[in-house]
Amino acid sequence: MTIARGFKAALFSCAALCALAIPAHAEDTQYDWGKFPGYTLKVKLIGGTQYEKLYTRIPEWEKATGAKVEIVSSKNHFELDREIKQDIASGAITWCVGSNHTSFAPQYGDLYIDLSKVIPATTLAEFVPGTLKSAEVDGRLVQLPRVTDVSNLYYQKELYENADNQKKYKEKFGVDLAPPKTFDEFKQQIIFFAAPPNLYGTAFAGKDEGMTGRFMEIVRANGGDMFDEKWNPIFNSQAGIDALQWFVDIYNAKAVPAGTVNYTWDDIGQAFAAGTLAVDLDWPGWAAFFNDPKSSKVAGKIGLAVAPVGTAGKRGGWSGSHSFSVTEACDNKEAAVSFITFLTDYESEMMEARAGNLPTRTKAFADVVEEFKKNNNTYMADMFSTWEQSLAEARTPPLVPQWIEVSNVIWPELQAAIVGQKTPKEALDTAAGKAKQIMEDAGVLK
Amino acid sequence: MQSFTRRFSPPFLLLLPAFVIIAAVILIPLVFSLYTSFTNYRLVQPASLWQWVGLRNYQRIFSDIDFWWAFGRTVVFLTIALNLELVLGLGIALLIDRITTGQRVIRTIMMFPMMFSPILVGFQFKYIFNDNVGLINNAIQSLGWSNVTIPWLVNGWTANFAILTAEVWMSTPVFAILLLAGLMAMPRDPIEAAKVDGCNSWQVFRHITLPFLLPFIYIAMAIRSLDVARAYDMVKIMTNGGPAGRTELLWTLLARVGYQDARMGMANAMSYVSILLSIYFTYYFFRKLATARASLGSMA
Repeated sequence: MTIARGFKAALFSCAALCALAIPAHAEDTQYDWGKFPGYTLKVKLIGGTQYEKLYTRIPEWEKATGAKVEIVSSKNHFELDREIKQDIASGAITWCVGSNHTSFAPQYGDLYIDLSKVIPATTLAEFVPGTLKSAEVDGRLVQLPRVTDVSNLYYQKELYENADNQKKYKEKFGVDLAPPKTFDEFKQQIIFFAAPPNLYGTAFAGKDEGMTGRFMEIVRANGGDMFDEKWNPIFNSQAGIDALQWFVDIYNAKAVPAGTVNYTWDDIGQAFAAGTLAVDLDWPGWAAFFNDPKSSKVAGKIGLAVAPVGTAGKRGGWSGSHSFSVTEACDNKEAAVSFITFLTDYESEMMEARAGNLPTRTKAFADVVEEFKKNNNTYMADMFSTWEQSLAEARTPPLVPQWIEVSNVIWPELQAAIVGQKTPKEALDTAAGKAKQIMEDAGVLK
Repeated sequence: MQSFTRRFSPPFLLLLPAFVIIAAVILIPLVFSLYTSFTNYRLVQPASLWQWVGLRNYQRIFSDIDFWWAFGRTVVFLTIALNLELVLGLGIALLIDRITTGQRVIRTIMMFPMMFSPILVGFQFKYIFNDNVGLINNAIQSLGWSNVTIPWLVNGWTANFAILTAEVWMSTPVFAILLLAGLMAMPRDPIEAAKVDGCNSWQVFRHITLPFLLPFIYIAMAIRSLDVARAYDMVKIMTNGGPAGRTELLWTLLARVGYQDARMGMANAMSYVSILLSIYFTYYFFRKLATARASLGSMA
């Protein structure tokens, strides 16, 4: 009898649990992705290990809608950007969905549709508002954000906890050794930790948009900006000169690898994982890689801190989002919109977040932190909390079509100052002159 | 149809498909790109194809110091690379020509660098010359020669040296194989006659082998001078023209302006100015080739 009552109770509990679980599950799967039997959706997607995991969900969408997805191109973003520009030039827009990015989007003119007119407001309301706003170009929502990027500090905890380091730092600077709160303090610590060739204070992206972006962050943190409201370049202001001087100082002190002027993100990430950098201002996508003993010598020994502030007491966080867009020329916009909404739905966003990327849906942000905490992965939970703090102050690069072109005249000049070929003022004045010409030619300068 | 074939001669008709194809794939793109060099054509703004700006692009190029640095650097790069490749290729060809057993194996091994894509060569040499984890710096430090980290790809001289090394490594076999073909086709009688007459090895090489090889050398030079732009991929990977434009060659500059900045009108204007360089090199080598052939004829 007791056994029977126990069995009944167990059965009842199980049924109750199932009843609770079913609606929650149903809420995620109930979404109607539409039916497009026999239709082949052509897409151009960003390639690379960290981006392609999401594409394993594509068969789910195909099954739900009856459509097929044909990936006609899968390349890194710079190559994809080049290919898209060639498509525009040749008028061969034969595809429907393209990977996009907030930095690239303004260049493409009217290639992509305004998604705010075709995606329900209730769905859009589920995205982080600032991230969605940054996805607009001239008030048109041309892309649906997939993951957001902003940089914060990764540091080797052992170096900060080392008693000898603490003592020497206190003697030298009169303050306790702790992760830097300002860029001045950051510079001080970069130089303090450097013991080349085995350990450098840090490394920075020294070419392409990476260099311009890092410079822009400090300019903004110092209270300056890249352009004024009339689109006059103003990055050669005192805030800009001080920002460039920051790079020059750590380079001259030999506290960064000399080759950093040729480094891009991979070189820096690999160097930090190899334990040759004390501190690294870097993207969230590296978090899991750095903490994986298979890929990193510093796994389990990493501290996280919010990016420093500049002389204006502000954080100049350079943010941007990877995203998806739908072309105007698409022959089945409904299917394309359904596809990109699917690739940015709650499940997709959770998948991205579990891999260490910052999701663009508000709910996924909170839920993934809970999930990491539940799994005792405090490192990843801390990462999300730390990175979330910096998102509020983060800003995208200027959202004008000329941004990449302007960036391409800035970074060679920054390099010239860093390697001692020009003074920071000379370099920035030259870059500002060239940037002004670009804005004038484009008819943007008011 | 009959009147058409009657009006045009058979040779013309037979050559017509070739003319049409050449016009479609070479002439039309050339004329089109020349036209765009006088416009404000931007890849992402198809309408800009009709924005005529006259000589503005060319005027800007002539006052653009960065362009002329890249132009000058490309000339120097071409000159040094081609000469080094020639000297090394000739040396290798002469050595291989003397091998009696296993020559085929050595010939095949010699061609290995040609089998790599320039992108892979770029990555390979970027790693070799990396200042932090690179092979060369590690070797120097491990052998105790120096504790200093040499920033190979940063310093203007060493960065250009590194690129030149990669280019020479990749392309010397082209010279070697062409010159080896020349050596193998060379008649042995004049050499033997010279030796009988008491000429030493240097005299044989200077007065018999080298004049005979000159046409091969100039053909190899002409081919390589046009083909050397393949180095774009390599430079793109190793330094992308940087730092601070220290390794900027015409190809990296053109690709950035044309594709990244999407200023195709300006990039085409730059191409037309730099095409003069290709024409000059080709003309120079073909003139030399004609002279070498003439002198070879008079020798015979």
